[in-house]
Amino acid sequence: MAVDSQREAALQPVAPKRLTGMQQFVLTVSRVWGWVFLFLLIVFFSITGTGFLSLRNSQNILVAIVPVLLLGLGQTFIIIAGGIDLSVNYVMGLASVVMALVIRDLVANGVDETLAILVGMALGIVAALIPGLLNGLIVAKLRVTPFIVTLGMAFVARGVGYLLSDGNVVGGQPPGVRLFGNEALLYYIPGDGGGLYFLQRPEAAGEQLRVLERIFPWPVVVLAIVVGFGIFLLSKTQFGRHTYAIGGNREAASRAGILVDRHTILLFVMSGFTAGLAGVLHTARFNGGSAIAGEAQLMPSIAAVIIGGVSMFGGVGTIWGTIIGALIMAVLQTGLVMLGVESFWQWIVVGIVVIVAVLIDQGRDLIKGRAEAQLSE
Amino acid sequence: MTKKLLAILVVALLAISLVPATGQEDKPKIGFLPGVVDPFYQVMELGVNQAVADFDLEVITQYPPSWNVSEQTPIPDAYVARGDLDYIITAPVDKDQMIAPLQAAVDAGIKVITVDTFLGDGDYIDGPVTFPLSYIGSDNVEGGRIAGRALADVLGGEGTVYVQNTNVGVSTTEQRGEGFIEAISEFPGMELVGMDYNLDDANRAAEQTSATLQRVPDLGGIFGVNVFSAQGAGNAVIAAGLGGTVQVVAFDATQFAIEMLRNGDVTLVIAQKPFDMGYMAVEFAMADWRGVTSLPRRVPTGYAVITAENVDDPEVARFIYQVP
Repeated sequence: MAVDSQREAALQPVAPKRLTGMQQFVLTVSRVWGWVFLFLLIVFFSITGTGFLSLRNSQNILVAIVPVLLLGLGQTFIIIAGGIDLSVNYVMGLASVVMALVIRDLVANGVDETLAILVGMALGIVAALIPGLLNGLIVAKLRVTPFIVTLGMAFVARGVGYLLSDGNVVGGQPPGVRLFGNEALLYYIPGDGGGLYFLQRPEAAGEQLRVLERIFPWPVVVLAIVVGFGIFLLSKTQFGRHTYAIGGNREAASRAGILVDRHTILLFVMSGFTAGLAGVLHTARFNGGSAIAGEAQLMPSIAAVIIGGVSMFGGVGTIWGTIIGALIMAVLQTGLVMLGVESFWQWIVVGIVVIVAVLIDQGRDLIKGRAEAQLSE
Repeated sequence: MTKKLLAILVVALLAISLVPATGQEDKPKIGFLPGVVDPFYQVMELGVNQAVADFDLEVITQYPPSWNVSEQTPIPDAYVARGDLDYIITAPVDKDQMIAPLQAAVDAGIKVITVDTFLGDGDYIDGPVTFPLSYIGSDNVEGGRIAGRALADVLGGEGTVYVQNTNVGVSTTEQRGEGFIEAISEFPGMELVGMDYNLDDANRAAEQTSATLQRVPDLGGIFGVNVFSAQGAGNAVIAAGLGGTVQVVAFDATQFAIEMLRNGDVTLVIAQKPFDMGYMAVEFAMADWRGVTSLPRRVPTGYAVITAENVDDPEVARFIYQVP
């Protein structure tokens, strides 16, 4: 009960005049430290390395965060609502395999390439919605804790992915798949005879091909649209407010007339969708489907959410935070490799950042709780 | 009544189990236990099955669900419990932790042949583990050397190279990296600029390779120690507009690797010979059964180097891991 009231307190706006200078400082730090840390990392790598601050590198980093951020997006909603989804990585692999199989077999049977790709992508995502729906139903209706349900579903999705792909990478994709995964919205060729090109990839060879910049590759465009919609949904709609309310206090949310079960199911279906999309984009980018496409992405996706300030107890957090978390990890990875430093250091730094992030958030909750208590005195 | 019937049934079953299966005593029965479901072991199984058919033997095959000691161990335990097997042909998933389970099989009178991977240090004469009959498999250090020399050859003996490795502590991929670095150091004009680990994640491999291409703009070549590594490296090279300029070497000739070769994502594919491993292991079991005592304790199976030029040559194409 005490924890609940503290959590609710954290949601309430606090009158700033009741806070001491130190408390205000901590609150400000808790809001901006992620941005500041990211900025400092970029400054550090720009000074120490060559070419870190370049158009090319910025695009490389954006492409690299696509799977982590997509998995983290569904995860953000679920963790804010007080749950967790441990199945996203293998659900991603399942979608990747289903898409590749469907496209390969349709094209082999003479179906039009574009149609085959569209059907393949759609079925890849449908294949990911099913485990999401099952997760939601079991959590909401049978009252099994999300940790267990999604852990089980991870094994199931992994097994199905392996069975369908026979343990292989599923290839045999038509050229369109690769184009979608690797071509871009804008192209830029610097220097004489170059310029900016919209949608249409310019003819380039040799040196021109080498300096050709792909700006906003299609997976990044898809990511931006989905993340933008996610931000809108969480911060501007009733759906978003309900998500916070359920994570803050499930009982109270239910008493307030929120359809908690239906909402929970929807959240897990959404997480299935974002994982499915990540799988589809993986197949497109790498020209083949793999059951372990997302295997290494689960922990980073949760780390991104935590670094972003989402409380594991639910009720608190934003998608912007998750974006910062994903960017911090990708900047570290890229920066360290560019410095020629062993990339294992990335994990040590990320680990420390995760723990510091939680400490900062606890400080924030404590201060907000105290201020609230003072106000109500 | 039911109880009586059950009792009769049990006695009958016991009686049947005591009767030796006639006509089987002069031929060994083999259990095959690969490391994990993948094209490499599936091709090895084809080799096993071919030899089993040629010698008119019987084989039991069971794949562990994943590359993991705790998932592989129950299978030899079950093979021992069956009581009818004479040989286990296996790729132990860990050189130390699989010693005890396979020792238990040996204690039960089953002989062990290891394929692809090994127990102890792979030296079954002077090494810490000597109970297996033989170790038949690629020399992964040599595989890395072949990759290094082939890449140096393509680059004309001059340039910088980079390694995309998978995980720390996996003997095969670590040895490939080791052999590659050793071979590169033989060329005075070649320089290694780094090695990164991608955890079998193509996305991470691409991210690390992109960063390396920024750091070393004139990079000459990349060695991807397995398919996922080469997949990510190839993607980053193409995205940087360096396809055909930066040479990518892939290890293991899966059909997907060959697809990458045809697409121009990779320049060379190093093929192991899993069919040879499977076939020879059964031959060794048969020979041992017949009393042959001069079987070599270590048989390094060779490699084939596949390029865009020779990939359609049937003499080379037969080394592609093809599962019907």
